[in-house]
Amino acid sequence: MAKRLIRRKTLDSLGLLFVAFIMVSPVILFFLWMISLSLKYEIDNGAYPPILFPENVAWSNYLKVFEENNFLLYFWNSVLVTGTATLLALVIGVPSGYGIARLKAEKSAVVIMIARMTPGLSFLIPLFLLFQWTGLIGTLWPQIIIHLVVTVPIVVWIMIGYFETTPMELEEAASIDGATPWQVFRLVALPIAKPGIVVSFILALIFSWNNFVFGIVLANRETRTLPVAVYNMLSFEQVSWGPLAAAALIVTLPVLLLTMFAQKQIVAGLTAGAVKGG
Amino acid sequence: MATVNIQNIQKHYGAVKVIHGIDIDIADGEFVVLVGPSGCGKSTLLRMIAGLEEVSGGEIHIGSREVSNMPARDRDIAMVFQNYALYPHMTVADNMGFALKLKKVPAAEIQAKVKRAASILGLEALLDRYPKQLSGGQRQRVAMGRAIVRDPQVFLFDEPLSNLDAKLRVQMRGEIKTMHQRIGTTTIYVTHDQVEAMTMADKIVVLHGGFIEQIGAPLELYDRPANIFVAGFIGSPAMNFIDGWVEEGVFRTTKGLILPLPQAVAEKMGGRDLVYGIRPEHIRASTQGIEGRVTLVEGTGSEIFTRLDAHGEDIACLFRERFDVRFGDTVFIEIDPSKVHLFDKQTGRRI
Repeated sequence: MAKRLIRRKTLDSLGLLFVAFIMVSPVILFFLWMISLSLKYEIDNGAYPPILFPENVAWSNYLKVFEENNFLLYFWNSVLVTGTATLLALVIGVPSGYGIARLKAEKSAVVIMIARMTPGLSFLIPLFLLFQWTGLIGTLWPQIIIHLVVTVPIVVWIMIGYFETTPMELEEAASIDGATPWQVFRLVALPIAKPGIVVSFILALIFSWNNFVFGIVLANRETRTLPVAVYNMLSFEQVSWGPLAAAALIVTLPVLLLTMFAQKQIVAGLTAGAVKGG
Repeated sequence: MATVNIQNIQKHYGAVKVIHGIDIDIADGEFVVLVGPSGCGKSTLLRMIAGLEEVSGGEIHIGSREVSNMPARDRDIAMVFQNYALYPHMTVADNMGFALKLKKVPAAEIQAKVKRAASILGLEALLDRYPKQLSGGQRQRVAMGRAIVRDPQVFLFDEPLSNLDAKLRVQMRGEIKTMHQRIGTTTIYVTHDQVEAMTMADKIVVLHGGFIEQIGAPLELYDRPANIFVAGFIGSPAMNFIDGWVEEGVFRTTKGLILPLPQAVAEKMGGRDLVYGIRPEHIRASTQGIEGRVTLVEGTGSEIFTRLDAHGEDIACLFRERFDVRFGDTVFIEIDPSKVHLFDKQTGRRI
């Protein structure tokens, strides 16, 4: 009896693993293929039937990425644009989320969402003209400002969920203890919402880091971010798959590592507000 | 320490009135309990005193100050919440010292005051812990400590014992009472539990539907309830109410049950529709008198609670003496006429 139960349980978990594998296999295969591409010489990359494990490993693809492009400059651009846009989004979005949650002003949250849902291209052209008039083109500022369209809504929406689950009694206790509304926010609401701030920071970072369309329109040779740089490799050097895959992997790496380390918190952040008080 | 005067206080949400002009005078150092069923407005009233809820009309005075429109932080009160509302990111010591820190009291002084409050409540060993590392009773004590450290003019308690188990509730009830006797700060305490009200209060305010039903000392409410609501709410198990009228010196029901009355009352009450009230603990088992069939027996060891069917009327009795009684038995009970309460059937008022 006990044996059968154990066998049953093992089968169950094996089945579950199999289903999970099937579901994530497109992603895994995609990644494996990218790694394979980045480690093969062009001759292997074009071979038919395709080769997954090459006989000669082409580490040179990675070297090429750094040699033939100003890759470090683009990396630094990406860090500046994403870093500033994310930090500004926290400065703007966390208090906004608090205000919207406390005043129950869901309508203004919807307005922010609409700004996010509008296709970027529809306001990119007028904004490009605006940046040109103000002389900001050629600096990183246009990209930083426009990345706020991506980062601020993420922060605001996640923070609304977090602040809504903070018990009102805590803030009432603080105001009875003599705190002004600003002190209530700074000394009680904010520290309690720390996990939410971390999550919205990470998610905003990922979305901003991967953003392509704003960069392709607003960036020039010196102000490119990484996704744009990868795309440019495609257009200038025909299609050299090896270096391209290597570049793409290098761009993905920081975000990938961040996601892996912060997985638990990201899931918690995405489900915050789904379970009240949970 | 201060007096609290509540004058004609009203609260409405739009067209819905929840508190209809309440007056309460609370003396300096008094322990007042606001009690009533859920939805009676007791918590709303407390929150208005605290400044967490806007006042729709009337005035609240704490000491000589009119505070009705003052923000909560300026009222010099401390409040203990049902869920304790301890700041989860602060240690016990920081929780207790938070109010003083906001007032920019020097750190050394805060530490001394926190230590003193902790010693009153037996929290010295827990000062460095976080709320999530504490049991329910300990959290409750920290919440009280946070109030004591402030040395406020008034303590407010909002159903502070509701989340504790029965045994701890009795213990904390005693501790709160002891603390009040020791510190002597004016206290307003909200509960739905009439036992808490009876055991702790100097003065009980019974609220019902946004009106005050009666204000008085616990025993006064027990001995002379002003109306049927208070009579039924105060005392456990609840008072028996039997409809009927007075005729020929006794109380009669339509089903033919005859109940005794005090002589003086019986003579002047003829003809009116009345409600006869008798507490279960004022009924004695006897060998003669009113006959009833037992429909329920619950023994706790110290007492026996039974329900009887007497001429179709359901009567609850609480016997302190132990005797063998079972479902379906026929027993006789006697009622002490001096313990009988009579109420007007129309108005519900005591006669």
